[in-house]
Amino acid sequence: MAEADAGRSHGGKRILVVDDSSLVRLYYRAALEKAGFSVEQAINGIEGLEKTLTQAFDLVIVDVNMPRMDGIAFLRSLRSQADIAVAGLPALMISTESEREDMAAAAAAGANFYLVKPVSEADLVRHAALLAGVAQ
Amino acid sequence: MAERDTPEPSAIAPDEVQRFCEFLYRRTGMSFSESKRYFIDRRLNERIAATGSKSFQAYFSLLRADAEHEIEHLINSFTVNETYFYREDAQLRCLTSGMLDAIVSRKAPGEPIRIWSVPCSTGEEPYSIALWLMENWPQVDNFNIEIVGSDIDTKALKAAVEGIYGDRALMRLSPDIIARYFTRLDDGRYQIDEGLRESIEFSRINLIDTADMARQRDFDVVFCRNVLIYFDDASRRAAAENLYDCLRPGGYICLGHSESMSRISPLFRVCRFPDAIVYQKPEADHG
Amino acid sequence: MPLIKAGGKAADKPAKGDNSAGHLAGLTSAAADTRWSTARALAGRADAVPALAGALASEDSPRVREAIMTALMRVGNEASVKVMLPYLAADDAGLRAAAVEALQGIPEAVAPFMQALFADTDSDVRILATELARNMPEAEATRLLCALIENEQHPNVCAAAIDVLTEVGTKEAIPVLERCATRFAATPFVPFAVSVAIARISGTEA
Repeated sequence: MAEADAGRSHGGKRILVVDDSSLVRLYYRAALEKAGFSVEQAINGIEGLEKTLTQAFDLVIVDVNMPRMDGIAFLRSLRSQADIAVAGLPALMISTESEREDMAAAAAAGANFYLVKPVSEADLVRHAALLAGVAQ
Repeated sequence: MAERDTPEPSAIAPDEVQRFCEFLYRRTGMSFSESKRYFIDRRLNERIAATGSKSFQAYFSLLRADAEHEIEHLINSFTVNETYFYREDAQLRCLTSGMLDAIVSRKAPGEPIRIWSVPCSTGEEPYSIALWLMENWPQVDNFNIEIVGSDIDTKALKAAVEGIYGDRALMRLSPDIIARYFTRLDDGRYQIDEGLRESIEFSRINLIDTADMARQRDFDVVFCRNVLIYFDDASRRAAAENLYDCLRPGGYICLGHSESMSRISPLFRVCRFPDAIVYQKPEADHG
Repeated sequence: MPLIKAGGKAADKPAKGDNSAGHLAGLTSAAADTRWSTARALAGRADAVPALAGALASEDSPRVREAIMTALMRVGNEASVKVMLPYLAADDAGLRAAAVEALQGIPEAVAPFMQALFADTDSDVRILATELARNMPEAEATRLLCALIENEQHPNVCAAAIDVLTEVGTKEAIPVLERCATRFAATPFVPFAVSVAIARISGTEA
């Protein structure tokens, strides 16, 4: 898909990337912006919550392991918000581990989909588009 | 803008600016979009010149080591440090549009509402809270309200007790409020109403000193704005634990608008009100 | 008058839980508030390290764990580091993260243990240990992280080390980073991370 086309089809969709690694955030941001999404970042679950409560997003992409508030606690907190626009936000969880209990915990906490690192640009963009409700 | 304030702006490579921005973001939560690039370059160049650093690398080393309180100087150069009445008023609005209603619903009859302004500097914030409540909270006469202002700087506290301010500090107040709560002095400055001055308790405190902080308890709301951003991780941790003990269960902390609890502590819950995000000490601790 | 002066009352009021302050027995109380206030009162007391270690091992409350870690961090000696290090391998992710944060705050006390941490057989421990170098002086952090990267087989550990180097690395790291990118050319994230790290480290000297 040409970049200009990607820009048109994903235009206006906002994604929040919650990950404690600056390089991972940058990697996701580069891939997602190239595909036409606009991207905001958060360094841990607390900042993720602060941002989802003050800005509108179409999708959150969240790491499992983070200091202060991890991805599971973040999702639980997100899903318990009274505002359904926040509580119902689609969430893509990403982890370095492929253990079954992580996936089960992610699902129980309310993740809509789960990817295991390393995540390719193509996989990231494809799942982001699906979950953010982009017409294919 | 004076010419001398602008050292050659071309000395820093874009990747170095990125490196700096990433550090600032991790450390404080402050982030700037590409459109602020000129602003960042300018401030960064000013700090490089002010510290006599020979290169960005040399400056960045100094900043990381926090030599000569450089983090404090840097944050000051990126933020507005003025203190004036009704500054960052979203949280004042939040106080009367949500926080106090939640607080009084848990109060026993006759129990006072306690609000703490720390650091209170020269008093603008605690007096603002008092004025705001009297002007905007319909239930203000139904409760006893205690407002405490504390600061580490005894000179600032002395000024707070005097309550004398220039025009600039009053710029956000309506002429009507100034007329009702202030007296114009012969030198053109304004002194806040004596009743107000006498109703607020001022005290000296060090946020990271646990023994000091143990003297302050049972607050319902703490305004702790634009101070924790300057602390290192260990001091933030100590201050957050101290503040936790100063609050009643269910009590709230308000931070400055460029501060984020994500850089400070996991002890508090993020709480959204229509006017602001504040942080709450859990009502019942199950763990 | 709705506004009333707080007066000196608050100043004379003893703090809640203070009756147990400093008494080690408080660490085993059934009440989380008592364990919390006891741990806080013991902050920085080297003689309390064994008791804090015992308390940490059986503590369920994340809030009290934080306070115990803070107390150990404020001691900041070899004994307190030794108490916290094993938690880098804890099953509980919250406990691992709390240990990283506390240890990050005392880089000088942690430095002698870095080599052993980087040789740990658990790659997750090595990943967390890279964060402990973040607050160390640039030259020392660069030396430690480069030694790790040179022999590291796990791309996620390299990625974590590169992340820290992006902030703290000196130009001595550049050849090591280049070799790492070549070794992990098949994992797209590693060459990406290396290119960002090298650009940030080189800056105007490139």
